[in-house]
Amino acid sequence: MIRFEKVTKSYPGHPHPALDNISVDVEKGEFVFLVGSSGSGKSTFLRLVLREYRPTSGRVYVAGKEINRLASWKVPRLRRDIGTVFQDFRLLPNKTVTENVAFALQVIGKSRKEIKDLVPETLEMVGLSGKGDRMPDELSGGEQQRVAVARAFVNRPMILIADEPTGNLDPTTSVGIMKLLDRINRTGTTVVMATHDSGIVDQMRKRVIELENGHVVRDQAQGVYGHQN
Amino acid sequence: MQLRYVYSELGQGLRRNLTMHLAVILTLVVSLTLVGIGLMFQQQATRAADHFGNQLQITVYLCRLNDSNPVCPNPVTDAQKAEIEAVVEENPEVASYRFESGEVALEKAKELYGEELFSGDNPALTAEDMPQTIWITLEDPEQYEGITSAVQGLDGVSRVRDLREQVGPILTTITKMRTYALGTAGLLVLAALLLVANTIRLAAFARRKEIGIMRLVGASTLYIALPFLLEALVTALVSVALAGGALAAFLQFAIGDLATNLRFVPWIGWPEFRVALGAVAILGPVLTLLPTLVLTRKYLKV
Repeated sequence: MIRFEKVTKSYPGHPHPALDNISVDVEKGEFVFLVGSSGSGKSTFLRLVLREYRPTSGRVYVAGKEINRLASWKVPRLRRDIGTVFQDFRLLPNKTVTENVAFALQVIGKSRKEIKDLVPETLEMVGLSGKGDRMPDELSGGEQQRVAVARAFVNRPMILIADEPTGNLDPTTSVGIMKLLDRINRTGTTVVMATHDSGIVDQMRKRVIELENGHVVRDQAQGVYGHQN
Repeated sequence: MQLRYVYSELGQGLRRNLTMHLAVILTLVVSLTLVGIGLMFQQQATRAADHFGNQLQITVYLCRLNDSNPVCPNPVTDAQKAEIEAVVEENPEVASYRFESGEVALEKAKELYGEELFSGDNPALTAEDMPQTIWITLEDPEQYEGITSAVQGLDGVSRVRDLREQVGPILTTITKMRTYALGTAGLLVLAALLLVANTIRLAAFARRKEIGIMRLVGASTLYIALPFLLEALVTALVSVALAGGALAAFLQFAIGDLATNLRFVPWIGWPEFRVALGAVAILGPVLTLLPTLVLTRKYLKV
Protein backbone atom coordinates (compact mmCIF):
# COMPACT_ATOMS: atom_id res chain seq x y z
CA MET A 1 0.00 0.00 0.00
CA ILE A 2 2.93 2.29 0.86
CA ARG A 3 6.41 1.51 -0.39
CA PHE A 4 9.56 3.59 0.03
CA GLU A 5 12.50 2.49 -2.12
CA LYS A 6 15.83 4.01 -1.12
CA VAL A 7 14.15 7.32 -0.46
CA THR A 8 16.17 10.39 0.41
CA LYS A 9 14.60 13.76 1.10
CA SER A 10 16.75 16.83 1.61
CA TYR A 11 15.51 20.33 2.26
CA PRO A 12 17.33 23.27 0.74
CA GLY A 13 19.59 24.93 3.31
CA HIS A 14 19.85 21.84 5.49
CA PRO A 15 23.13 19.92 5.37
CA HIS A 16 21.66 16.59 6.52
CA PRO A 17 18.76 14.97 4.69
CA ALA A 18 15.51 14.57 6.64
CA LEU A 19 15.24 11.03 5.32
CA ASP A 20 18.39 9.22 4.26
CA ASN A 21 18.07 6.29 1.88
CA ILE A 22 15.23 4.53 3.63
CA SER A 23 13.25 1.56 2.32
CA VAL A 24 9.97 0.64 3.98
CA ASP A 25 7.04 -1.49 2.87
CA VAL A 26 3.61 -1.18 4.45
CA GLU A 27 1.08 -3.80 3.39
CA LYS A 28 -2.60 -3.22 2.83
CA GLY A 29 -4.50 -3.36 6.11
CA GLU A 30 -1.43 -2.96 8.33
CA PHE A 31 -1.29 -0.76 11.42
CA VAL A 32 2.09 0.92 11.75
CA PHE A 33 3.48 3.19 14.43
CA LEU A 34 6.12 5.65 13.33
CA VAL A 35 8.22 6.62 16.32
CA GLY A 36 11.31 8.70 16.90
CA SER A 37 12.33 11.99 18.44
CA SER A 38 11.42 15.35 16.94
CA GLY A 39 13.35 15.93 13.75
CA SER A 40 13.88 12.21 13.17
CA GLY A 41 11.97 12.37 9.87
CA LYS A 42 8.47 11.20 10.85
CA SER A 43 6.70 14.24 9.45
CA THR A 44 8.73 14.12 6.27
CA PHE A 45 7.72 10.49 5.86
CA LEU A 46 4.03 11.36 6.20
CA ARG A 47 4.32 14.34 3.88
CA LEU A 48 5.91 12.21 1.22
CA VAL A 49 3.00 9.78 1.46
CA LEU A 50 0.60 12.71 1.04
CA ARG A 51 2.69 13.95 -1.88
CA GLU A 52 3.14 17.32 -0.28
CA TYR A 53 6.75 16.82 -1.30
CA ARG A 54 8.52 14.72 -3.86
CA PRO A 55 11.54 12.70 -2.73
CA THR A 56 14.99 14.03 -3.61
CA SER A 57 15.92 10.54 -4.77
CA GLY A 58 14.39 7.09 -4.59
CA ARG A 59 10.81 6.10 -5.22
CA VAL A 60 7.63 6.36 -3.20
CA TYR A 61 4.59 4.26 -4.11
CA VAL A 62 1.25 5.04 -2.51
CA ALA A 63 -1.93 3.10 -3.29
CA GLY A 64 -0.28 1.69 -6.38
CA LYS A 65 0.86 5.04 -7.75
CA GLU A 66 4.43 6.20 -8.03
CA ILE A 67 4.18 9.65 -6.54
CA ASN A 68 7.43 10.92 -8.08
CA ARG A 69 5.79 10.70 -11.45
CA LEU A 70 2.33 11.77 -10.41
CA ALA A 71 1.27 14.93 -12.20
CA SER A 72 0.20 17.80 -9.94
CA TRP A 73 -3.36 17.70 -11.20
CA LYS A 74 -3.65 14.04 -10.20
CA VAL A 75 -2.58 14.70 -6.61
CA PRO A 76 -6.14 15.51 -5.41
CA ARG A 77 -7.26 12.03 -6.61
CA LEU A 78 -4.46 10.43 -4.64
CA ARG A 79 -5.45 12.34 -1.51
CA ARG A 80 -9.02 11.10 -1.75
CA ASP A 81 -7.58 7.67 -0.98
CA ILE A 82 -5.82 8.98 2.13
CA GLY A 83 -7.46 10.28 5.28
CA THR A 84 -5.44 12.53 7.55
CA VAL A 85 -5.72 13.30 11.26
CA PHE A 86 -3.57 15.85 13.10
CA GLN A 87 -2.62 16.66 16.64
CA ASP A 88 -4.43 20.00 16.46
CA PHE A 89 -7.68 18.56 14.98
CA ARG A 90 -7.93 21.27 12.28
CA LEU A 91 -11.70 21.62 12.42
CA LEU A 92 -13.48 24.60 10.90
CA PRO A 93 -14.63 26.61 13.94
CA ASN A 94 -17.61 28.21 12.19
CA LYS A 95 -19.14 24.91 11.09
CA THR A 96 -21.05 22.31 13.08
CA VAL A 97 -19.79 18.79 13.58
CA THR A 98 -21.96 17.51 10.74
CA GLU A 99 -20.88 20.36 8.45
CA ASN A 100 -17.23 19.74 9.23
CA VAL A 101 -17.52 16.09 8.23
CA ALA A 102 -19.75 16.86 5.24
CA PHE A 103 -17.27 19.50 4.05
CA ALA A 104 -14.75 16.79 3.16
CA LEU A 105 -17.32 15.20 0.88
CA GLN A 106 -18.75 18.41 -0.56
CA VAL A 107 -15.43 19.69 -1.79
CA ILE A 108 -14.69 16.51 -3.69
CA GLY A 109 -18.06 16.71 -5.38
CA LYS A 110 -20.08 13.99 -3.63
CA SER A 111 -23.81 14.17 -4.12
CA ARG A 112 -26.16 15.45 -1.47
CA LYS A 113 -27.60 11.98 -1.05
CA GLU A 114 -24.22 10.35 -0.46
CA ILE A 115 -23.41 13.04 2.10
CA LYS A 116 -26.74 12.52 3.84
CA ASP A 117 -26.07 8.79 4.10
CA LEU A 118 -22.37 8.78 4.91
CA VAL A 119 -22.06 11.59 7.47
CA PRO A 120 -24.48 10.29 10.16
CA GLU A 121 -23.20 6.77 9.65
CA THR A 122 -19.63 7.88 10.21
CA LEU A 123 -20.53 10.09 13.19
CA GLU A 124 -22.21 7.09 14.77
CA MET A 125 -19.16 4.98 14.15
CA VAL A 126 -16.89 7.45 15.96
CA GLY A 127 -19.39 7.72 18.82
CA LEU A 128 -20.72 11.20 18.15
CA SER A 129 -24.30 10.49 17.10
CA GLY A 130 -26.54 13.14 18.59
CA LYS A 131 -23.77 15.72 18.60
CA GLY A 132 -23.95 16.61 14.92
CA ASP A 133 -25.34 20.08 15.56
CA ARG A 134 -22.69 21.11 18.09
CA MET A 135 -19.97 23.58 17.23
CA PRO A 136 -16.37 22.40 17.69
CA ASP A 137 -15.77 24.72 20.65
CA GLU A 138 -18.66 23.06 22.50
CA LEU A 139 -16.83 19.72 22.39
CA SER A 140 -14.06 18.24 24.50
CA GLY A 141 -10.65 17.65 22.94
CA GLY A 142 -11.33 13.95 22.56
CA GLU A 143 -14.64 14.64 20.86
CA GLN A 144 -13.03 17.14 18.52
CA GLN A 145 -10.46 14.55 17.55
CA ARG A 146 -13.29 12.11 16.88
CA VAL A 147 -14.80 14.64 14.51
CA ALA A 148 -11.43 14.91 12.78
CA VAL A 149 -11.24 11.11 12.50
CA ALA A 150 -14.78 11.04 11.12
CA ARG A 151 -13.81 13.63 8.53
CA ALA A 152 -10.71 11.66 7.57
CA PHE A 153 -12.63 8.40 7.31
CA VAL A 154 -15.98 9.53 5.88
CA ASN A 155 -14.77 8.96 2.32
CA ARG A 156 -13.61 5.43 3.26
CA PRO A 157 -9.98 5.99 2.27
CA MET A 158 -7.55 3.13 1.75
CA ILE A 159 -4.98 4.75 4.00
CA LEU A 160 -5.37 6.73 7.22
CA ILE A 161 -2.48 8.89 8.29
CA ALA A 162 -2.43 10.16 11.86
CA ASP A 163 0.20 12.64 12.94
CA GLU A 164 0.35 12.60 16.77
CA PRO A 165 -3.42 12.23 17.03
CA THR A 166 -3.26 11.84 20.83
CA GLY A 167 -0.67 14.56 21.39
CA ASN A 168 -3.20 17.00 22.85
CA LEU A 169 -5.30 14.48 24.76
CA ASP A 170 -5.19 12.98 28.24
CA PRO A 171 -4.36 9.27 28.51
CA THR A 172 -7.93 8.09 29.02
CA THR A 173 -9.22 10.00 26.05
CA SER A 174 -6.24 8.81 24.02
CA VAL A 175 -7.22 5.22 24.62
CA GLY A 176 -10.64 5.99 23.16
CA ILE A 177 -9.09 7.47 20.03
CA MET A 178 -6.76 4.48 19.68
CA LYS A 179 -9.71 2.10 19.92
CA LEU A 180 -11.35 4.08 17.17
CA LEU A 181 -8.26 3.91 14.94
CA ASP A 182 -8.02 0.20 15.64
CA ARG A 183 -11.65 -0.22 14.55
CA ILE A 184 -10.96 1.67 11.37
CA ASN A 185 -7.91 -0.51 10.79
CA ARG A 186 -10.11 -3.61 11.14
CA THR A 187 -12.24 -2.42 8.22
CA GLY A 188 -9.17 -2.98 6.05
CA THR A 189 -7.84 0.55 6.11
CA THR A 190 -4.06 0.85 6.36
CA VAL A 191 -3.17 3.09 9.31
CA VAL A 192 0.14 4.89 9.72
CA MET A 193 0.45 6.80 12.97
CA ALA A 194 3.33 8.97 14.05
CA THR A 195 3.49 9.27 17.82
CA HIS A 196 5.54 10.04 20.91
CA ASP A 197 3.09 8.25 23.18
CA SER A 198 5.02 5.24 24.49
CA GLY A 199 2.10 4.00 26.58
CA ILE A 200 -0.09 3.61 23.53
CA VAL A 201 2.57 1.94 21.43
CA ASP A 202 3.42 -0.52 24.16
CA GLN A 203 -0.23 -1.32 24.73
CA MET A 204 -1.26 -1.80 21.10
CA ARG A 205 1.58 -4.13 20.11
CA LYS A 206 1.54 -3.24 16.46
CA ARG A 207 4.36 -2.91 13.98
CA VAL A 208 6.80 -0.15 15.02
CA ILE A 209 9.12 1.70 12.66
CA GLU A 210 11.62 3.86 14.51
CA LEU A 211 13.36 6.71 12.75
CA GLU A 212 16.49 8.46 13.95
CA ASN A 213 18.22 11.24 12.02
CA GLY A 214 16.52 10.15 8.84
CA HIS A 215 17.40 6.46 9.13
CA VAL A 216 15.20 3.50 9.98
CA VAL A 217 16.87 2.16 13.11
CA ARG A 218 14.18 -0.39 13.95
CA ASP A 219 11.33 -2.07 12.13
CA GLN A 220 9.62 -4.52 14.40
CA ALA A 221 6.38 -6.48 14.23
CA GLN A 222 4.36 -6.19 17.46
CA GLY A 223 6.94 -3.80 18.83
CA VAL A 224 7.08 -1.44 21.76
CA TYR A 225 8.05 2.23 21.94
CA GLY A 226 11.57 2.03 23.40
CA HIS A 227 14.48 -0.18 22.36
CA GLN A 228 14.13 -3.79 23.37
CA ASN A 229 17.29 -5.33 24.65
CA MET B 1 -19.51 19.09 -9.07
CA GLN B 2 -21.35 20.30 -6.05
CA LEU B 3 -21.29 24.05 -6.08
CA ARG B 4 -23.19 24.90 -2.92
CA TYR B 5 -19.97 25.45 -1.04
CA VAL B 6 -18.58 27.59 -3.85
CA TYR B 7 -21.59 29.92 -3.83
CA SER B 8 -21.71 30.29 -0.07
CA GLU B 9 -17.96 30.96 -0.09
CA LEU B 10 -18.45 33.53 -2.83
CA GLY B 11 -21.00 35.47 -0.79
CA GLN B 12 -18.88 35.19 2.33
CA GLY B 13 -15.74 36.25 0.50
CA LEU B 14 -17.40 39.28 -1.02
CA ARG B 15 -18.68 40.38 2.37
CA ARG B 16 -15.49 39.60 4.24
CA ASN B 17 -13.30 41.69 1.98
CA LEU B 18 -15.88 44.32 1.18
CA THR B 19 -13.54 47.30 1.52
CA MET B 20 -10.88 45.68 -0.64
CA HIS B 21 -13.46 44.77 -3.25
CA LEU B 22 -14.75 48.32 -3.26
CA ALA B 23 -11.22 49.62 -3.74
CA VAL B 24 -10.71 47.20 -6.62
CA ILE B 25 -14.02 48.16 -8.18
CA LEU B 26 -13.41 51.90 -7.89
CA THR B 27 -9.94 51.65 -9.36
CA LEU B 28 -11.18 49.40 -12.11
CA VAL B 29 -14.12 51.65 -12.94
CA VAL B 30 -11.88 54.67 -13.32
CA SER B 31 -9.23 52.83 -15.32
CA LEU B 32 -11.75 51.07 -17.54
CA THR B 33 -13.57 54.34 -18.14
CA LEU B 34 -10.31 56.00 -19.13
CA VAL B 35 -9.46 53.11 -21.44
CA GLY B 36 -12.91 53.44 -22.98
CA ILE B 37 -12.53 57.20 -23.40
CA GLY B 38 -9.10 56.67 -24.92
CA LEU B 39 -10.58 54.22 -27.40
CA MET B 40 -13.40 56.61 -28.22
CA PHE B 41 -10.91 59.41 -28.84
CA GLN B 42 -8.92 57.03 -30.98
CA GLN B 43 -11.97 56.37 -33.10
CA GLN B 44 -12.77 60.06 -33.11
CA ALA B 45 -9.30 60.81 -34.46
CA THR B 46 -9.71 58.16 -37.16
CA ARG B 47 -13.11 59.51 -38.10
CA ALA B 48 -11.93 63.08 -38.31
CA ALA B 49 -8.86 62.02 -40.27
CA ASP B 50 -11.01 60.00 -42.68
CA HIS B 51 -13.19 62.99 -43.22
CA PHE B 52 -10.59 65.69 -43.53
CA GLY B 53 -7.63 63.69 -44.62
CA ASN B 54 -4.77 63.38 -42.25
CA GLN B 55 -2.36 66.09 -41.34
CA LEU B 56 0.04 65.34 -44.16
CA GLN B 57 -2.55 66.19 -46.75
CA ILE B 58 -3.39 69.32 -48.63
CA THR B 59 -6.53 69.65 -50.71
CA VAL B 60 -6.73 71.22 -54.15
CA TYR B 61 -10.21 72.48 -54.96
CA LEU B 62 -10.98 72.46 -58.69
CA CYS B 63 -13.29 74.98 -60.32
CA ARG B 64 -16.96 74.07 -60.19
CA LEU B 65 -20.05 75.35 -61.89
CA ASN B 66 -20.87 78.89 -60.81
CA ASP B 67 -17.67 79.05 -58.77
CA SER B 68 -17.59 82.20 -56.66
CA ASN B 69 -13.84 82.46 -57.24
CA PRO B 70 -13.09 84.90 -60.12
CA VAL B 71 -10.24 82.66 -61.41
CA CYS B 72 -12.89 80.10 -62.27
CA PRO B 73 -15.07 81.36 -65.10
CA ASN B 74 -15.94 77.79 -66.09
CA PRO B 75 -15.95 74.40 -64.40
CA VAL B 76 -12.70 72.49 -64.70
CA THR B 77 -12.28 70.58 -67.97
CA ASP B 78 -10.78 67.14 -68.45
CA ALA B 79 -7.76 68.66 -70.23
CA GLN B 80 -7.14 71.02 -67.31
CA LYS B 81 -7.46 68.15 -64.89
CA ALA B 82 -4.89 66.16 -66.86
CA GLU B 83 -2.49 69.09 -66.77
CA ILE B 84 -2.94 69.61 -63.04
CA GLU B 85 -2.44 65.89 -62.49
CA ALA B 86 0.80 66.02 -64.47
CA VAL B 87 2.11 68.85 -62.27
CA VAL B 88 1.18 66.98 -59.08
CA GLU B 89 2.67 63.78 -60.44
CA GLU B 90 6.04 65.38 -61.14
CA ASN B 91 6.36 67.27 -57.88
CA PRO B 92 8.94 65.63 -55.55
CA GLU B 93 7.10 66.80 -52.41
CA VAL B 94 4.10 64.64 -53.28
CA ALA B 95 3.95 61.16 -51.79
CA SER B 96 0.58 60.24 -53.27
CA TYR B 97 -2.64 61.84 -54.41
CA ARG B 98 -6.20 60.96 -55.29
CA PHE B 99 -9.16 62.60 -56.94
CA GLU B 100 -12.43 63.01 -55.10
CA SER B 101 -15.59 63.60 -57.07
CA GLY B 102 -18.40 66.00 -56.22
CA GLU B 103 -20.60 62.98 -55.35
CA VAL B 104 -18.20 61.81 -52.66
CA ALA B 105 -17.98 65.36 -51.29
CA LEU B 106 -21.78 65.50 -51.20
CA GLU B 107 -21.90 62.21 -49.26
CA LYS B 108 -19.55 63.65 -46.68
CA ALA B 109 -21.71 66.76 -46.36
CA LYS B 110 -24.79 64.57 -45.90
CA GLU B 111 -23.03 62.70 -43.14
CA LEU B 112 -22.35 65.95 -41.28
CA TYR B 113 -25.58 67.85 -41.78
CA GLY B 114 -28.12 65.10 -42.32
CA GLU B 115 -29.74 63.54 -45.36
CA GLU B 116 -32.86 65.76 -45.34
CA LEU B 117 -31.08 68.91 -46.44
CA PHE B 118 -29.95 67.29 -49.67
CA SER B 119 -33.04 65.41 -50.79
CA GLY B 120 -36.43 66.38 -52.08
CA ASP B 121 -37.39 68.77 -54.84
CA ASN B 122 -35.29 71.65 -53.70
CA PRO B 123 -32.06 70.36 -52.19
CA ALA B 124 -29.62 72.79 -50.61
CA LEU B 125 -26.78 71.36 -52.62
CA THR B 126 -26.32 68.78 -55.36
CA ALA B 127 -23.23 66.93 -56.50
CA GLU B 128 -22.79 69.57 -59.19
CA ASP B 129 -22.42 72.23 -56.52
CA MET B 130 -19.67 70.35 -54.76
CA PRO B 131 -16.16 70.97 -56.05
CA GLN B 132 -14.00 68.13 -57.30
CA THR B 133 -10.85 67.88 -55.23
CA ILE B 134 -7.39 66.40 -55.34
CA TRP B 135 -6.12 65.13 -52.00
CA ILE B 136 -2.37 65.26 -51.91
CA THR B 137 -0.34 63.45 -49.29
CA LEU B 138 3.05 65.06 -48.76
CA GLU B 139 6.38 63.35 -48.29
CA ASP B 140 7.18 65.76 -45.50
CA PRO B 141 4.38 67.80 -43.92
CA GLU B 142 6.72 70.76 -43.55
CA GLN B 143 7.49 70.85 -47.28
CA TYR B 144 4.26 72.06 -48.76
CA GLU B 145 5.07 75.46 -50.24
CA GLY B 146 6.52 74.08 -53.46
CA ILE B 147 3.46 72.08 -54.42
CA THR B 148 1.09 74.80 -53.23
CA SER B 149 2.68 77.44 -55.46
CA ALA B 150 3.07 74.99 -58.35
CA VAL B 151 -0.63 74.15 -58.38
CA GLN B 152 -2.00 77.52 -57.40
CA GLY B 153 -2.65 79.57 -60.50
CA LEU B 154 -3.06 76.63 -62.86
CA ASP B 155 -6.17 76.82 -64.98
CA GLY B 156 -9.04 74.98 -63.35
CA VAL B 157 -7.70 75.35 -59.81
CA SER B 158 -9.96 77.35 -57.51
CA ARG B 159 -7.90 77.28 -54.35
CA VAL B 160 -5.48 75.15 -52.34
CA ARG B 161 -6.27 74.39 -48.76
CA ASP B 162 -3.63 73.32 -46.34
CA LEU B 163 -5.62 71.17 -43.94
CA ARG B 164 -3.05 71.42 -41.26
CA GLU B 165 -4.13 74.92 -40.41
CA GLN B 166 -7.76 73.99 -39.79
CA VAL B 167 -7.92 70.40 -38.80
CA GLY B 168 -4.42 70.09 -37.41
CA PRO B 169 -5.21 71.60 -33.99
CA ILE B 170 -8.37 69.51 -33.62
CA LEU B 171 -6.61 66.31 -34.56
CA THR B 172 -3.68 67.15 -32.30
CA THR B 173 -6.02 67.81 -29.39
CA ILE B 174 -7.93 64.60 -29.93
CA THR B 175 -4.73 62.61 -30.23
CA LYS B 176 -3.31 64.23 -27.09
CA MET B 177 -6.47 63.50 -25.12
CA ARG B 178 -6.33 59.91 -26.30
CA THR B 179 -2.72 59.62 -25.15
CA TYR B 180 -3.45 61.19 -21.77
CA ALA B 181 -6.48 58.98 -21.24
CA LEU B 182 -4.67 55.79 -22.16
CA GLY B 183 -1.53 56.77 -20.23
CA THR B 184 -3.49 57.49 -17.06
CA ALA B 185 -5.49 54.34 -17.64
CA GLY B 186 -2.24 52.38 -17.85
CA LEU B 187 -1.15 53.60 -14.41
CA LEU B 188 -4.54 52.87 -12.93
CA VAL B 189 -4.61 49.42 -14.49
CA LEU B 190 -1.34 48.75 -12.71
CA ALA B 191 -2.88 49.96 -9.45
CA ALA B 192 -5.91 47.74 -10.07
CA LEU B 193 -3.70 44.71 -10.67
CA LEU B 194 -1.84 45.32 -7.41
CA LEU B 195 -5.11 45.72 -5.54
CA VAL B 196 -6.48 42.50 -7.01
CA ALA B 197 -3.29 40.71 -6.01
CA ASN B 198 -3.55 42.06 -2.48
CA THR B 199 -7.20 41.10 -2.20
CA ILE B 200 -6.42 37.54 -3.18
CA ARG B 201 -3.59 37.36 -0.68
CA LEU B 202 -5.94 38.52 2.09
CA ALA B 203 -8.70 36.17 0.97
CA ALA B 204 -6.32 33.22 0.78
CA PHE B 205 -5.10 34.07 4.26
CA ALA B 206 -8.63 34.37 5.63
CA ARG B 207 -9.49 30.98 4.16
CA ARG B 208 -6.22 29.22 4.90
CA LYS B 209 -7.89 26.68 7.21
CA GLU B 210 -10.55 25.73 4.70
CA ILE B 211 -7.99 25.64 1.92
CA GLY B 212 -5.67 23.44 3.96
CA ILE B 213 -8.47 20.97 4.64
CA MET B 214 -9.67 21.03 1.04
CA ARG B 215 -6.18 20.16 -0.14
CA LEU B 216 -5.91 17.34 2.37
CA VAL B 217 -9.19 15.71 1.47
CA GLY B 218 -8.39 15.95 -2.22
CA ALA B 219 -10.45 18.85 -3.56
CA SER B 220 -9.26 19.75 -7.03
CA THR B 221 -7.26 22.90 -7.54
CA LEU B 222 -10.01 24.34 -9.69
CA TYR B 223 -12.57 23.71 -6.97
CA ILE B 224 -10.38 25.47 -4.42
CA ALA B 225 -9.71 28.37 -6.77
CA LEU B 226 -13.31 28.71 -7.94
CA PRO B 227 -14.56 31.06 -5.18
CA PHE B 228 -11.57 33.30 -5.89
CA LEU B 229 -12.22 33.29 -9.61
CA LEU B 230 -15.93 33.99 -9.13
CA GLU B 231 -15.14 36.85 -6.76
CA ALA B 232 -12.80 38.27 -9.38
CA LEU B 233 -15.48 37.87 -12.02
CA VAL B 234 -18.13 39.59 -9.91
CA THR B 235 -15.91 42.60 -9.19
CA ALA B 236 -15.01 42.76 -12.88
CA LEU B 237 -18.64 42.66 -14.02
CA VAL B 238 -19.69 45.35 -11.54
CA SER B 239 -16.77 47.49 -12.69
CA VAL B 240 -17.56 46.98 -16.37
CA ALA B 241 -21.21 47.91 -15.80
CA LEU B 242 -20.26 51.11 -13.95
CA ALA B 243 -17.59 52.01 -16.50
CA GLY B 244 -20.13 51.42 -19.28
CA GLY B 245 -22.47 53.89 -17.58
CA ALA B 246 -19.67 56.42 -17.25
CA LEU B 247 -18.76 56.02 -20.92
CA ALA B 248 -22.39 56.45 -22.00
CA ALA B 249 -22.57 59.61 -19.91
CA PHE B 250 -19.32 60.83 -21.46
CA LEU B 251 -20.70 60.29 -24.96
CA GLN B 252 -24.05 61.81 -24.15
CA PHE B 253 -22.84 64.91 -22.37
CA ALA B 254 -19.22 65.67 -23.28
CA ILE B 255 -19.21 64.55 -26.91
CA GLY B 256 -22.85 65.58 -27.31
CA ASP B 257 -21.91 69.09 -26.22
CA LEU B 258 -18.99 69.23 -28.64
CA ALA B 259 -21.16 67.90 -31.45
CA THR B 260 -23.67 70.70 -30.95
CA ASN B 261 -21.01 73.39 -30.87
CA LEU B 262 -18.57 72.10 -33.51
CA ARG B 263 -20.76 70.82 -36.28
CA PHE B 264 -18.12 70.75 -38.99
CA VAL B 265 -16.33 67.79 -37.37
CA PRO B 266 -17.98 64.36 -37.66
CA TRP B 267 -18.33 63.22 -34.05
CA ILE B 268 -18.46 59.67 -32.79
CA GLY B 269 -21.74 58.15 -31.64
CA TRP B 270 -23.22 54.94 -30.22
CA PRO B 271 -21.49 52.54 -32.65
CA GLU B 272 -18.10 53.78 -31.40
CA PHE B 273 -19.39 53.59 -27.84
CA ARG B 274 -20.22 49.94 -28.42
CA VAL B 275 -16.70 49.24 -29.65
CA ALA B 276 -15.22 50.91 -26.56
CA LEU B 277 -17.68 49.09 -24.28
CA GLY B 278 -16.80 45.78 -25.92
CA ALA B 279 -13.09 46.34 -25.32
CA VAL B 280 -13.74 47.37 -21.71
CA ALA B 281 -16.00 44.35 -21.17
CA ILE B 282 -13.15 42.07 -22.23
CA LEU B 283 -10.42 43.99 -20.45
CA GLY B 284 -12.23 44.14 -17.08
CA PRO B 285 -12.51 40.38 -16.49
CA VAL B 286 -9.02 39.82 -17.92
CA LEU B 287 -7.58 42.31 -15.43
CA THR B 288 -9.09 40.53 -12.45
CA LEU B 289 -9.04 36.91 -13.61
CA LEU B 290 -5.47 36.87 -14.86
CA PRO B 291 -3.81 37.86 -11.56
CA THR B 292 -6.28 35.61 -9.72
CA LEU B 293 -5.27 32.62 -11.83
CA VAL B 294 -1.59 33.33 -11.39
CA LEU B 295 -1.82 33.95 -7.64
CA THR B 296 -4.18 31.14 -6.76
CA ARG B 297 -1.64 28.85 -8.40
CA LYS B 298 0.95 30.33 -6.08
CA TYR B 299 -1.06 30.43 -2.84
CA LEU B 300 -3.13 27.30 -3.31
CA LYS B 301 -0.42 25.01 -4.59
CA VAL B 302 -1.21 21.35 -3.95
